Amino acid sequence: MTAAAVLTVSALSKSFGRFMALERVDLSVRPGEVRAIIGPNGAGKSTLMNILSGQLAPDAGSIVFAGQRLHGRPPHQLARRKVGRAFQISSTFRRMTVYENMLAAHNAAGGAWFSLRSSRLKRMRASVMADLEEIGLARLAGQIVEDVSHGDRKRLEFGMVLAGRPRLLLLDEPTAGMGLQERHALIDLVLRQVRERGITLLFVEHDIDVVFRAADYITVMALGKVFAEGLPEQIAANAQVQEIYLGRR
Amino acid sequence: MTPPERQTAASGRDDPRVRWFPVAAVALAAAIALLAGPPLVVFALIEVMVFALFATALNLVLSYSGMVSFGHAVYFGIAVYGMALTITRLGWPLWAGMLAGPVTSAVFALVFGAFCVQLTAIYAAMLTLACSEVTFAVIFQWFELTRGETGISGFVPPMLGLAPGVYGLIVLAVVSASILALWRIVYSPLGLTIRAVGQNPARAAALGHSRRTVQLIAFVISGFFSGVAGTLFGAFHGNVFPDYLGTLITVNGLVMVLLGGLYNFAAGIYGAVLFKILDNLLAHYFQYWQVAIGVILMGVILVSPRGIGGAIQWLARRLPGAQR
Repeated sequence: MTAAAVLTVSALSKSFGRFMALERVDLSVRPGEVRAIIGPNGAGKSTLMNILSGQLAPDAGSIVFAGQRLHGRPPHQLARRKVGRAFQISSTFRRMTVYENMLAAHNAAGGAWFSLRSSRLKRMRASVMADLEEIGLARLAGQIVEDVSHGDRKRLEFGMVLAGRPRLLLLDEPTAGMGLQERHALIDLVLRQVRERGITLLFVEHDIDVVFRAADYITVMALGKVFAEGLPEQIAANAQVQEIYLGRR
Repeated sequence: MTPPERQTAASGRDDPRVRWFPVAAVALAAAIALLAGPPLVVFALIEVMVFALFATALNLVLSYSGMVSFGHAVYFGIAVYGMALTITRLGWPLWAGMLAGPVTSAVFALVFGAFCVQLTAIYAAMLTLACSEVTFAVIFQWFELTRGETGISGFVPPMLGLAPGVYGLIVLAVVSASILALWRIVYSPLGLTIRAVGQNPARAAALGHSRRTVQLIAFVISGFFSGVAGTLFGAFHGNVFPDYLGTLITVNGLVMVLLGGLYNFAAGIYGAVLFKILDNLLAHYFQYWQVAIGVILMGVILVSPRGIGGAIQWLARRLPGAQR
């Protein structure tokens, strides 16, 4: 598996004062793989995602994606290297409309964000509306984002990330705070888009149903370390994982 | 399906479309007042227009780029020094001196902005204040160059030696063109990027934008147009003093934007008009007129937190035939 890995995380460590949030974490992820990172609270999942997306700098270790060094680079540089990120709490431009949010994503992806020609934005209308259609938000195009539901904001954020045509997608608890139906609808949307576009996906998730439904491979973390890795059925059958995370039956 | 831009307008938020008829009507009314009004009205109108431009430039930073500047008067006042010194010391012709003003402001905004964008929130705001105070102190104390507190006079005749109405028309043309340019910037791809960074730097970074770069660009643009306002103000009076860079000018600009309403492009215009009317009227009748302005500002913010602009949009949505 290591030979074919597109994302290689080696001996990644991070501490906050005396608290060791990550301790020599290793990961190898294949191209197009859907990898779930699970673990109890305080396991280091969000710290790992924050380091992978450039929000935090690691104390030690390396991250290499498609032959490019990612560690230590700020988020905007990672985005330009086709690493997309959706946050645990949906992160959009709340005073803009749904349409403008998607337009901002297309504007960023277009590479001419410094242009003064407003006609460039008008030319993006068809593709922006097509993307909104794709994620089921075309009907809300003119709505201010702070007026739309939490689930629709999550969808919008995911759509905005997709507009950047990422090759590696990092989702931190994509279904947090959503109802059961919304949760399944979002994860279906994510899986469809990821499979169609051949995106490598790493996601942190607490909902075990979602994890087993979506993941090709699962990494279990505990106390800042990789505790176990394997196929969903292997993780489900792992007694120690059940003990520390799933709860002994 | 209704185009998204129209839906934005219907929501009552900042509208990217220009309503040319009211804009043209206001410009025409101002032109008539400048040509036919008594000198006092003409002088007041010139000041309103100059400060409307200054506040609109400041609003680019406050409402759109997500920064707070407590030292924007630097870019207003330094333009006048740039103009005065290039004309008196370097012997540049008037037109070149007037171009040098805004360029000087843009250069100062670039240098100071490069430091300020390294920080965020209140720390960046305090750094803008520090830059402003340092510049004020240098201007005040470097007597050989700036003549200190005495200031520089006579580098141009007041109002460029023109009749007040004619100078007023020049100011109207330059201010209109500048505000239109700022409007085009705000609704261009660059403006969308500035707004994105201002609203959510983390999301903007995740889309590939460097907060520092984008905020610095906004700061320089704002500094340049503040310099245009300062140049017009300097040419109006034909002199320059350290007070042109003082905290009072910055505070007045901030008050104008707040009165006009944050996140509204026209906030600077609404705020400058109301502020200057209050400034002129209250000072005649009331010894503690600044207290009255403070009370009015508190009232506007309490009644309509989005300022006059927000109140106008609220009313417009309730007019018969308005889109809901």
